[in-house]
Amino acid sequence: MKNQILSFKDVTMIYHTAQGETAAVKDLNFYVQRGEFVAIIGPSGCGKTTILSLAAGLLNPSGGKISVADNVTFGYMLQKDELFPWRTIEKNILLPLEIKNTHTAENRKKALDLAIKYGLGDFLKSYPDQLSGGMRQRAALIRTLASDPTMLLLDEPFSALDYQTRLNVCDDVYNIIRSEKKTALLITHDISEAISVADRVLVLSKRPAHVVGEHVLHFDANTKPLQRREEKEFSGWFEMLWRQLNV
Amino acid sequence: MKKTKAEFSREHLLYLKKQKRVSLVVQITRILLLVLLLGVWELLADLQIVNPFITSSPSRIVLTIGSLYVEGTLFYHVGVTLGETLAGFAIAVVAGYLIALLLWWSETLRRILEPYIVVLNSLPKIALGPLIIIWCGTGSKAIVAITVLIGIIIAILNMLSGFIATDKNKILLLQSMGAGKIQILQKLVIPSSLPTFISMLKINVGMAWIGSIMGEYIVSKAGLGYLIVYGGQVFKLDLVMAATVILCTLAGIMYFLVVLLEKLVVKNGRN
Ligand SMILES: Nc1ncnc2c1ncn2[C@@H]1O[C@H](COP(=O)(O)OP(=O)(O)OP(=O)(O)O)[C@@H](O)[C@H]1O
Ligand SMILES: [Mg+2]
Repeated sequence: MKNQILSFKDVTMIYHTAQGETAAVKDLNFYVQRGEFVAIIGPSGCGKTTILSLAAGLLNPSGGKISVADNVTFGYMLQKDELFPWRTIEKNILLPLEIKNTHTAENRKKALDLAIKYGLGDFLKSYPDQLSGGMRQRAALIRTLASDPTMLLLDEPFSALDYQTRLNVCDDVYNIIRSEKKTALLITHDISEAISVADRVLVLSKRPAHVVGEHVLHFDANTKPLQRREEKEFSGWFEMLWRQLNV
Repeated sequence: MKKTKAEFSREHLLYLKKQKRVSLVVQITRILLLVLLLGVWELLADLQIVNPFITSSPSRIVLTIGSLYVEGTLFYHVGVTLGETLAGFAIAVVAGYLIALLLWWSETLRRILEPYIVVLNSLPKIALGPLIIIWCGTGSKAIVAITVLIGIIIAILNMLSGFIATDKNKILLLQSMGAGKIQILQKLVIPSSLPTFISMLKINVGMAWIGSIMGEYIVSKAGLGYLIVYGGQVFKLDLVMAATVILCTLAGIMYFLVVLLEKLVVKNGRN
């Protein structure tokens, strides 16, 4: 399909260490379409992070094929914000441009405009430890977006936050990703989080991970994550995913 | 975002005042303690309760330093020791840092060299003194070599553990941005290990003085360590004490400079 921006075909990943080998991923098949928001849920330790590392090309699969559409670039967002404490928020946000050597005045402006647009304008000269957890995670997202990636890979980006902040930041991040029209692949072990943001949810088995269920969610495109939680389908989806996750 | 004084509550102002008073008391007591110790020492010596020939006394120390100054040898000896210490310190720190970088870079090299470093670390470096004298002669070069030897292993081990402790997730993040090893080093490993670097400098200030003074004990014709040994041999305890006092002062100043550097580069614990 030409709209597929990322696809895994029979992908297997085995880690080798002195202690032995661990099959983290086995015969994994899935795809992500352009503009889609896909959530992957799976039991802890099943190989979720491995899947993102494979997608980003940080790991080579032991078998199978991973296809990435032409000119697709990835932006990675981790569980913790991983802002560098010795850099100001501005310098943190511009980090990907420094690394990729695309530190032009135009790119700089684009990245900083994005920061201002999403409410970080007043904090650009602050250091990360002066920001709240939610603000820091937002800064981390803007940093991810700074290099204008085609697709975002989100590895449980909210799980380090307390519940209240988490709901808000999730809403926040969802809105930014949507309005910037990015494709996103979100890893989470939180079922309700997956339902509240995704167009499609994939359920993984225990390790070695493979897809055991796929669900297209039919929420109205304009319902925000917090609103989705109020919808009547929500609990139905939750129950189904919960059961599938616990077989 | 610091509040100005006017914005604080009355209670907080009282609290600040109390803190200030406490630290003032600490400082005054510190100075009084020194004065008291010196006073008692002087008094005991003056009244011949203890033998000033063996214990010296503050006034005799001052006189000795004065006469060294008049003879014109004070700054000569201080200069020799200071030069050796600083040279040894600088070489140990720079070379240690670079070697640690190399060991961070190549895990294989690290594994190959590990047992050697462990053995060198536990070896009392001073045991190599005679060898060094044979290799480097009996001049300042030998003393610098001993100083380097004492400091470098500690510099390597400290920095290496600092480099290795770099947050794995931050490395992953940089890799996901396409960073290579040099960029990871430059953007992450070096800046995040700055606190380790400062604490390594602090340790090595002490090591450098140990190195240079020990070195001068074994082989020297000048320097504070030489004065101490010489003073001991001819039973001039005033000279021994005077050199020790100068040594304390210099070591204190050097440590203070490192602390100043720390204040400059590590702001609010964020490097
Ligand atoms: N670099 C590695 N070397 C060896 N084994 C690894 C490595 N990384 C992960 N593993 C193993 O592979 C399995 C899957 O790890 P992964 O981190 O992908 O799981 P996860 O689903 O993201 O876990 P979590 O829920 O804890 O985030 C685990 O058993 C882990 O121990
Ligand atoms: Mg994980």
